[in-house]
Amino acid sequence: MSTAVAIEGVAKIFNEGSSDQVDALQGIDLHIEPGEFLSLIGPSGCGKSTLLRLIGDLLEPSGGKVTVADKPAHQARLDREYGMVFQQATLYEWRSVAKNVQLPLEVMGRSKTEREDRADAMLDLVGLSEFKSHYPWQLSGGMQQRVAIARALSFEPSILLMDEPFGALDEMTRERMQAEVLDIWSQTGTTIVFVTHSIPEAVFISTRVVVMSPRPGRIADVIDIDLPQPRDEDTRESDRFYEKLTEVREALRGVEGQ
Amino acid sequence: MTTAAARPPSALRIAARRYLPATLIFLGGIALWELIVIVFDIQGFLLPKPSRIASTFVEEFSVVVPAGWFTMKEAVGGFVIGAVAGVLIALTTARWTVVKDGLMPFAIAVNATPIIALAPIMNNWFGITNPMAKMAIVAVIVFFPVMINMVRGLTEIDTRQLELMRSYASTPRELLLKVRVPNALPYLFSALKVGTSLSVIAAIVSEYFGGSRDALGIYISQQAALFHFAEAWAAILVASFSGIIFYLIVTLIERAVMPWHSSIRNVAGT
Repeated sequence: MSTAVAIEGVAKIFNEGSSDQVDALQGIDLHIEPGEFLSLIGPSGCGKSTLLRLIGDLLEPSGGKVTVADKPAHQARLDREYGMVFQQATLYEWRSVAKNVQLPLEVMGRSKTEREDRADAMLDLVGLSEFKSHYPWQLSGGMQQRVAIARALSFEPSILLMDEPFGALDEMTRERMQAEVLDIWSQTGTTIVFVTHSIPEAVFISTRVVVMSPRPGRIADVIDIDLPQPRDEDTRESDRFYEKLTEVREALRGVEGQ
Repeated sequence: MTTAAARPPSALRIAARRYLPATLIFLGGIALWELIVIVFDIQGFLLPKPSRIASTFVEEFSVVVPAGWFTMKEAVGGFVIGAVAGVLIALTTARWTVVKDGLMPFAIAVNATPIIALAPIMNNWFGITNPMAKMAIVAVIVFFPVMINMVRGLTEIDTRQLELMRSYASTPRELLLKVRVPNALPYLFSALKVGTSLSVIAAIVSEYFGGSRDALGIYISQQAALFHFAEAWAAILVASFSGIIFYLIVTLIERAVMPWHSSIRNVAGT
């Protein structure tokens, strides 16, 4: 597998030809290497969530080509290459925690024992083993989001797509979750594409940050975050972290000023 | 060290706290009714005393209870037919959206019309003493809210839940069984609960247009025509109890089917 994701000349236009036409994305070229942790950041309306949905074949591009794991995005979806996590945990409220994690495996026709073993392992990974019989409403927001991550990883997808997954969490929980996702990333080696509007989050968590500009959505800058791994609380206080923070902030300021 | 004050309240005490206000208001209301009839010397044919209704109920027990049973069979029979038909039609609309787009405007329009007005026509179609005439009315009245709510429950789903299933490359059948149907259950049960009282109303009112002599509606209208108001009230009491029991049975089924739902967890959690 040469590249995890290859995006070539991709454009997305909503309501094409009608009066409320929106040019969401234009001329996007991006290659993501296997095992990368890539963040998409930009002001609202820059099309970062749209780009994520194009990678995951939840939307079809109006032009250009999206290749994932060396095949068209559509085929990659049918081959279950994607795990999805949204800002809302989006748990199915009629299913217990364990049953939520098992859902993708059920859809994929895996055996009951395999489903249960995988769910146990995943809930262990996110530290929620004791809560497997609980229902979603009995969990806090952070715990619900951990279940959503466990569910997305349950079938070992080659790429994890996360759309502002911590946007609804408080700052403390948010920082803890960032560390946990980094930990999971280093354990599983999964490629992660992560949409965020938080600069410190993008810098702390990613190996590369893609800065996007709005109307129409375009890639304005790509910044390598060469902070040492593994990252921890000391990383957040290092001078190098501040330098990268400034670099991303200035790139974003250039975008806003347009 | 445990003190009496720190102990959690007993189950009995919790139950008492929850049901006491309603019980007091019920008993107070009955007492007030009795008192008003006595104080203002209201004639029995206008408003009988509760004590008089109770004693009539005991005297007429062997007539009103079988009559209630007869009418409840019509109500429940029609309810089942209407509910099953409503769910089946709703499921076909989930499969073929054309059916939904074609049917929903009419369903909503018909649901807003007084279907009970068809009762005399149904009496002609099925025969005035045939319970099917009443069941048909009940079935039509229950059908529309069940179908409309079920269609909403099958289709009004969080976009992200659909996106997730799409990312798992699920088949339409799995999407139906694992997401659409469970999502529709709360909608379905709220329609069924409304349907229980609608079905009892429809059965009794359609009997007012004529029917078997064993029926509760016939008994009520005949006794009222003879100025036997205590008897009529005793029969209304039977109708109320039957309706409440029917409602409670559906509520129990609801709790068994979807213990996860918010409408139930609030009750279970306190």
